[in-house]
Amino acid sequence: MFFTVALLLLFSACSQQPIITDEMIRFEGRMPANFSGSWERNYARDDDVNAVLNDAYNRLIRTLPDQRRPAIAGTEQSASKQMNSLVALARLAELITRPDVLTISQTRHEISIARKDDFDMLCAFYDGVAKAIENNNGTEICGWDGSQLVSNLVLQGGLQVTHRFTISADGQHMRVVTTVSSTTSRLPFTLRRFYSKFERPTSGFNCIETFSMKRVCSTAEIAR
Amino acid sequence: MTWLTLETRTLLASRLIILLLCIPPGFVRADAYLVEDTRKPSALNVSIVVFDPGVPEDLSLHRDLQVFPQIREIEAMFLPFVLRETLVKTNEWGAVRVIPKPDVAAELLVSGTILKSDGETLELTMQVVDASGRVWLDKAFAGTVTDSYATGGNGSDSPGYQQLYDEIAESLLQARAQFEDKALANIVEIALLRHAQQLAPSAFGDYLHSAEDGTFTIRRLPARNDPMLERIERIRGAEYVITDAVDAKFQELHAEIASIYDLWREYRRKVIEYQTEDARRVQSTQSSEPRGSYEALVNLYDNYKLDRITAQEQNSLAVAFGNEVGPTIAAMETRVAELEGWVDTQYAEWYRLLEELFEVESTLEQ
Repeated sequence: MFFTVALLLLFSACSQQPIITDEMIRFEGRMPANFSGSWERNYARDDDVNAVLNDAYNRLIRTLPDQRRPAIAGTEQSASKQMNSLVALARLAELITRPDVLTISQTRHEISIARKDDFDMLCAFYDGVAKAIENNNGTEICGWDGSQLVSNLVLQGGLQVTHRFTISADGQHMRVVTTVSSTTSRLPFTLRRFYSKFERPTSGFNCIETFSMKRVCSTAEIAR
Repeated sequence: MTWLTLETRTLLASRLIILLLCIPPGFVRADAYLVEDTRKPSALNVSIVVFDPGVPEDLSLHRDLQVFPQIREIEAMFLPFVLRETLVKTNEWGAVRVIPKPDVAAELLVSGTILKSDGETLELTMQVVDASGRVWLDKAFAGTVTDSYATGGNGSDSPGYQQLYDEIAESLLQARAQFEDKALANIVEIALLRHAQQLAPSAFGDYLHSAEDGTFTIRRLPARNDPMLERIERIRGAEYVITDAVDAKFQELHAEIASIYDLWREYRRKVIEYQTEDARRVQSTQSSEPRGSYEALVNLYDNYKLDRITAQEQNSLAVAFGNEVGPTIAAMETRVAELEGWVDTQYAEWYRLLEELFEVESTLEQ
């Protein structure tokens, strides 16, 4: 496990700035913040993808060789490639941040963030140390930056997705900053999404999932 | 003094008899596996203790090892029963029972730990010890799902890992073949004496010699008509009735959850097949899309997403399995606890009465 974490830290350090540092994967006592609950998107406050893309485009132009000078062979193609890569990251960021509702459950060891049409992000901490989730295609690990929860997903092919969760002081609002970066793009792409807490209405049914009969519901009074 | 002692003796003996007669009728099963004394010396009674689920204490390992603790707990109660059925079918043993906790006075005590159970492979370590403390077997067994099971011939009548249980049964027979009839008869006697020692240590404390390595040998034997031994045998008989009632509960559990467990195991097998196939697919196929393109990035993301959703689905179904069989397990555990509670209470009472009787009888003899 420590090997995996070390690899992740190394990868982050080599590629850009370290996203999850060694200090971030540890905490003492209780988790620094509680995100549990149902959260719905506040579209009014969200970043506009096109505006963010324009900004990123302008920043990218500044990093590219001066266009007024005579083009060096291959540079023009590279600039266009960089633009395409940035647009690809923007589209992926928009796709990943599309869910309009997040359902977060938090226990002593884990934070699970359920999203429609996507996997549940999972932050596992045992004895105050983050535990990476691995499969054949990538590795996911979380950390704490103060009271901000940071989830970092490192995928094959040099693709990284980072979510930074911040909760307001009153616990009613949440900001999620998603950054998508790739070794194919000079710049990462970052989008901010805002959420407000809401109470899910109760159905009046008491339901449990079973293995052979799927969901089984009864009208018995739900224990409160 | 003598008159009083006789009265006390009569009173104690009658109370003991009443206690033995007081076994609730519900505890007795019609097809109890009690073996007559006429059994062959090789037909030892076998007690299979509920397996150790083998769940790592380190919670953080559960996901990596794909261990579902609740399901392992169920398997720990469920799998011994399949072994019991296999041993019973060999017709080579006396009574074969599943018991909730180890019985040191068992003629042959079988314990197991689940090392791996993922639907495709089952790995167990089995330890078999006789009443004299001799280890018959301490070995790991592994089995994969039999082809007939995998191709649809499943059902509770054809356990998926029958080959593994047959192997354990065969190993037990091979271990037994090392002993002569006299040695096997000796085990039966030691078992009875260990039981007697537990119940009436004052009377039977010096019949056995216990060595440092944990083995027992007979120092001397009580007379066949020893009234204390007769009482012990009667109590042992009563205990067997309860043990058979507990065993029947494990049988009921098996009957009730076998079909759901088969489904779960089949599901887990398919997941493993899928994971192997998917890993191969990911390795062998390269995205034809240009590197860094939206399609290539989505492909990378989706590969990870698919793996995670599969793992998630597996976790949800493990919970669903627990939800479904939970009430059956809870009912069984309650009943077994009742039976065990009854035995514990009676045991304490038997212990007290036997000790008192021994004291009275010893005084009379003097």
